[in-house]
Amino acid sequence: MKLLFYLFLVVALLVGLIVMAALLTGLAAIVHLLLPVAKVPLRYNLRNLQVRWKTTAITALAFTVVIFLLTWMLAFVQGMNHLVKNSGHPGNIIVLAAGSNDETYSNLPASVDVRLLPKNVQEMVLKDGDNFWAVREVYVVVNQEFIHPKTKELDRRFVQMRGVDDVKMAARLHGLELQPGGQWFSGKTYEVVLGASVAKKFGADLGKDAVEPGDEVQLGSRKWRVSGVMKASGSTFANEVWARDIHVQESFGRKTETGPSYSSYVVRIKDPSLADKASDLVDQERTTEAITAMTEKKYYENLSQTNLQFMVAAIIVAIMMSIGGVLSVMNTMFAAISQRSKDIAVLRLLGYGRWQILASFLMESLVIALVGGLLGLALGSLLNGLTATSVVASGTGGGKSIVFALVVDQLVVFAGLALIVVMGLVGGLIPSLSAMRLRPLESLR
Amino acid sequence: MASNPIVRVRGVHKYFTRGSEQIDVLNNLNLEVPEGEFFGLMGPSGSGKTTLLNLIAGLDKPSEGEVWIGESLVSRMTESELARWRTRSIGFIFQFYHLLPVLTAYENVELPLLLLPLSSTERRRQVLTALDLVGLSDRLHHRPGQLSGGQQQRVGIARAIVTDPILIVADEPTGDLDARSAEEILNLLGELQKSLQKTIILVTHDPRAAQRAQRILHLEKGQLVESQAAPESATAIRDLVAARPSEGIQKDRR
Amino acid sequence: MTELFTNPLLLLCAVIAFVPLLAGIVLIALFPKLFLLVVKNLRRNLLRTVLTTVAIMFLVFMVTVILTVVYTLDLFTTEKSKDFKLIVMERWQLPSQMPPTHAKYLDPDPKNSQFLLDRKDVTPNDFMSWSFYAGSTEPDPKKRNLNNLAFFFVMNPHHIRPMMDDLGDLDPKLVEALVQTRRGCLMGRERMEALDKKVGERFSVYGLNYKDIDLEFEIVGQLPEGRYNKNAIMNEDYFTQAMNKYALKNNGKKHPLDMKRLNLIWLRVPDDATYKRVAAKVESASVFADLPVKCETASSASSRFLEPFRDLLRIMKWLVVAILISMSLVVANAISISVRERQTEMAVLKVVGYQPRQILAMVLGESMLVGGTSGLLASTLTFWLFNSIGGIPFPLLWFAFFVPWHALIWGLAIGFGTSLLGSILPAWSARSVKVSEVFAKVA
Repeated sequence: MKLLFYLFLVVALLVGLIVMAALLTGLAAIVHLLLPVAKVPLRYNLRNLQVRWKTTAITALAFTVVIFLLTWMLAFVQGMNHLVKNSGHPGNIIVLAAGSNDETYSNLPASVDVRLLPKNVQEMVLKDGDNFWAVREVYVVVNQEFIHPKTKELDRRFVQMRGVDDVKMAARLHGLELQPGGQWFSGKTYEVVLGASVAKKFGADLGKDAVEPGDEVQLGSRKWRVSGVMKASGSTFANEVWARDIHVQESFGRKTETGPSYSSYVVRIKDPSLADKASDLVDQERTTEAITAMTEKKYYENLSQTNLQFMVAAIIVAIMMSIGGVLSVMNTMFAAISQRSKDIAVLRLLGYGRWQILASFLMESLVIALVGGLLGLALGSLLNGLTATSVVASGTGGGKSIVFALVVDQLVVFAGLALIVVMGLVGGLIPSLSAMRLRPLESLR
Repeated sequence: MASNPIVRVRGVHKYFTRGSEQIDVLNNLNLEVPEGEFFGLMGPSGSGKTTLLNLIAGLDKPSEGEVWIGESLVSRMTESELARWRTRSIGFIFQFYHLLPVLTAYENVELPLLLLPLSSTERRRQVLTALDLVGLSDRLHHRPGQLSGGQQQRVGIARAIVTDPILIVADEPTGDLDARSAEEILNLLGELQKSLQKTIILVTHDPRAAQRAQRILHLEKGQLVESQAAPESATAIRDLVAARPSEGIQKDRR
Repeated sequence: MTELFTNPLLLLCAVIAFVPLLAGIVLIALFPKLFLLVVKNLRRNLLRTVLTTVAIMFLVFMVTVILTVVYTLDLFTTEKSKDFKLIVMERWQLPSQMPPTHAKYLDPDPKNSQFLLDRKDVTPNDFMSWSFYAGSTEPDPKKRNLNNLAFFFVMNPHHIRPMMDDLGDLDPKLVEALVQTRRGCLMGRERMEALDKKVGERFSVYGLNYKDIDLEFEIVGQLPEGRYNKNAIMNEDYFTQAMNKYALKNNGKKHPLDMKRLNLIWLRVPDDATYKRVAAKVESASVFADLPVKCETASSASSRFLEPFRDLLRIMKWLVVAILISMSLVVANAISISVRERQTEMAVLKVVGYQPRQILAMVLGESMLVGGTSGLLASTLTFWLFNSIGGIPFPLLWFAFFVPWHALIWGLAIGFGTSLLGSILPAWSARSVKVSEVFAKVA
């Protein structure tokens, strides 16, 4: 096994060297192209690509496919990233049971309260008069039974529920608003408020676009009345069902012998720039209950560790696919150079140097890559805004199901362009090197 | 007329090694071509003509000896010096014209000028002058595919003279042309020599072409020898046929 | 083997793989000279042949990896029609945490009088219960990481062979060892390597999901190479004993998770009718009224966990399509360049008397030889590579992705299919080369 690993390393190193060489040469060639120095006219390359348009097209299409796929995959990952980033408020810190970094596995007692935090931290918490901006939350994943709208059979799905002790405060803390026509629940009866994405999902059961205030949903063994639906928030909360904490605790096994339990306690720090300091203080000055605290920003960053894995996987797949495109452009360039060996000889005899010849063919290869790749990028950017579902997780188990929009942002475009340029240059380097080595008068006789 | 020799080849040996064997291609070659001379070089295939041309063009270095073109010691220049020098000092004309097929006549002739520090107006002037000299001002924007053999060769000649080089090397310029076009091209070359005092080295098998030269030397077994008697000699014709067995019957465009 | 005939897609693959293979073999036997010509042509521009081969190999590698993932997940989520497993778990919430008494009602052991179901429907060999115990070998909480973590299936060793997927042929001696050594455990190769322990060694584990339940283990055997590489199996008696000891130490107060420690119950039924019967009885049993349970097939439970990954899997399927298109383009490019370069040759062949269809066959043969060989080679290497390192390291929940043997058929089929697709047009143009046109150009 180790042998394989070392072999892989050696190959990767070689490839890395070639890519580096290609990039440096390419950079030099591009600079050479832009500077007002003598060069083989670009129109020579462009016209040749035009004359051999069928080959140019087939070669370029391979790039289109790769770049389109890369754009799609990265848009997916970026969409996940944006959603997760958007879910945390910069001024919020989240308190969990000691040793947890995911609310799914965190168990806090009902007594969790601002007074459990160190005195200096208490002073940093925002308040309205005597009212602290703080909320206790209990997060559970519930198995919901429903009648599948298409098959009309009993089916089940996972639903993310959040029980809160003060729903208006929770909404304020998480920056959420209701769509017009709904209300936050009073908490006296079994009522829920749905996130925008969940409302759409449940709506299908009722044969509508989305569930509306007044409708009923089945969760656990009872029916709950929908009092309101949240506005689309571009956050993980859009995929959640909110209810009164005591209702969630009693319906879904969060009542233990020692009393009901919560999963997290969220507070807003007056000065968001001090949020980090506040959470560090909580950890340093241990209180009687075993708790830990972190900024919501850090919490969600942690929660999206699998996003990084997705990103890496996407890049690996794109690189593997691009090998096909690179080798194809190599084939094309080798053939072109062999077919145009007389042209090269003439250029050398006229006084064009070897490096100018190299630059010329490197540019030709880059043009093919750009033509195909930019088309792929353009097609890929059409995916911006499409809805998708996925999972964010910290990698140690658990995970939140999310609904989000694909995002084609600067990072995605830049990655696409970078791959196009690298592919074009790597594919063109070796053939162009061979063009350099031509012996002029021999080729002409 | 004490004209300086444009080409001075002194004591040149050129050999190649194949494995353990040494193949001598050129043996103690000495040659001087004075300025303004129309010089003819003949010889069978494999006689080393290409090798000699390579040395004169600076595309190769002699194993021993020196090659001077004008004031430049070509056999000692570095590659980048040679590239610059070639643009300014030598013009090539080929049997198969070797124009870049995707460029127009104008663009083909412009190619060497792109390597010189000229403004675009100056460049344009020189290209138009060259094409005018060869009589193709009405075909500026035609591509080689749209020109006849003779016209293509004229573009080749225009390209060879556009940088005002001190030496023109014509390698079988009429080899692919019918009798009439060949005649026109040879006339043109003669004109260039007379009116512009161009030094021309003509490499050829064709006795008719060789006739235009002021002096003819034969390259035989790596050595230069004086020309034989009448070019229509049986030897010359035998050489002609022996040199190009695969080409068979010459195309005759009527 | 039987899968070949039950899965229509696989059958199609096999057809695309073997028909050209057999046809090729027959043609080579009948027209050896033509075949030699094909090989010579490939050798002439060795560079191009190599580049095309390498490109196809990389792409087939990718396709094999993705198809393996898709195929494996498909396997888990497709409803079987006979002898399938059911999972009984908490009805409403996740994770499923049931009291150990729930198992009593569903254990068909002959000595168990509380069994609710019919022993004709569920025999003693059709039952298994799981708890999950996770812990770290590192006492200092700050130094704990993925490398000193251990994850145990807590169960009755007698149920391993009858009920655990892929462990049906487990060495009975290992089971016996686990029964005899109460603190014993069976562990997978990768976990042993991570913890740096070998069979026979002892180690302590500090409980992570069961706080203050720290256990001592002796590795009595290694689990076979496969999906359990990263896990371990321990004796449920030991776990129960540890729970009881905790209560004793704490003045009779039970561990907070004592009545929540049963996670899953597995049952196996022979057919759909039995499943419906069993599920109805389980879900309506009054003994479960306080802590309701549900009974569903293992495949539908798996589907639910995979539901959020649905879009991801869709992208993967489109990736396969895109890669196949790329492959065809690569071949089309290489072959069309090759045909264009050899137009004169083909005209000469025609002049000499070769039939247009033989020219077509030659070009197709060239591309399919390269395609088929590269495809087969790539899928074979992928199969060997990943299956020897414990499967494809794709971190999707608990699944292990081992490349199935029929990946070799995929490779051959994809190689043949894409090269046929890519070279059809160039081959046709080669076949229709007009002799007169070609010679006019050259002359």
